[in-house]
Amino acid sequence: MSYSEREAATGLITSLIVLGLFLWRLAGQHDAGLFDGPDALQIWARSVLILVAWSIGIAIVVTIGFHIAYAALTGEKTDDVRDERDRDIERRALTWAWYLLSFGLLGVIIDLALGASALRAMNLVLALCALSEIFKDALKFWLYRRGA
Amino acid sequence: MAAPPGHIENRIRRLRFDAGEMTQKDLADRVGVTRQTIIAIEGAKYSPTLELAFRIARAFGVGLDDVFTFHDD
Repeated sequence: MSYSEREAATGLITSLIVLGLFLWRLAGQHDAGLFDGPDALQIWARSVLILVAWSIGIAIVVTIGFHIAYAALTGEKTDDVRDERDRDIERRALTWAWYLLSFGLLGVIIDLALGASALRAMNLVLALCALSEIFKDALKFWLYRRGA
Repeated sequence: MAAPPGHIENRIRRLRFDAGEMTQKDLADRVGVTRQTIIAIEGAKYSPTLELAFRIARAFGVGLDDVFTFHDD
């Protein structure tokens, strides 16, 4: 497995953990009624900022842990060469993730126009960002696996 | 306008054999890419840029036509 392929795998694992953390935390706060008041968006934004900080820490731990575990299990030396094929796969994955995000944002705007609350729209935007990131890393990983 | 169909074949496996069983890793190091990229090119799953194609040909000391050939489908 090349360095970039491992990067895609760690990105995918990190994104799934972070999405789970966001869903668990925000759903818990929603059920507790924290987002019912007039300052709901401010509380939501503060929660998200804290979760973003957590996400950075998770990304660092997962990346280091994955590389150490991979090296220990396979005995392969870390080779961080990135070449034109890596850039090509990155570009293809980013393009499709961008389409997903763009059409998703259009859907959120339509949802808002139909009367959805700002809090719901912000949650959808957050979910879209996470899903497009997961989609990008999954597509990259799949392209590497099929030898594109 | 869509490009007409065609595919690129390569003789990298044969050239590596002729070069004293040069490994994919050796070739990758010589041309500055990963071993996985050489595997993908050799299996015709990835078409290299012109720059990389020239570097591969140069690594074997042959012309571009001796490594890659284009076929109309």
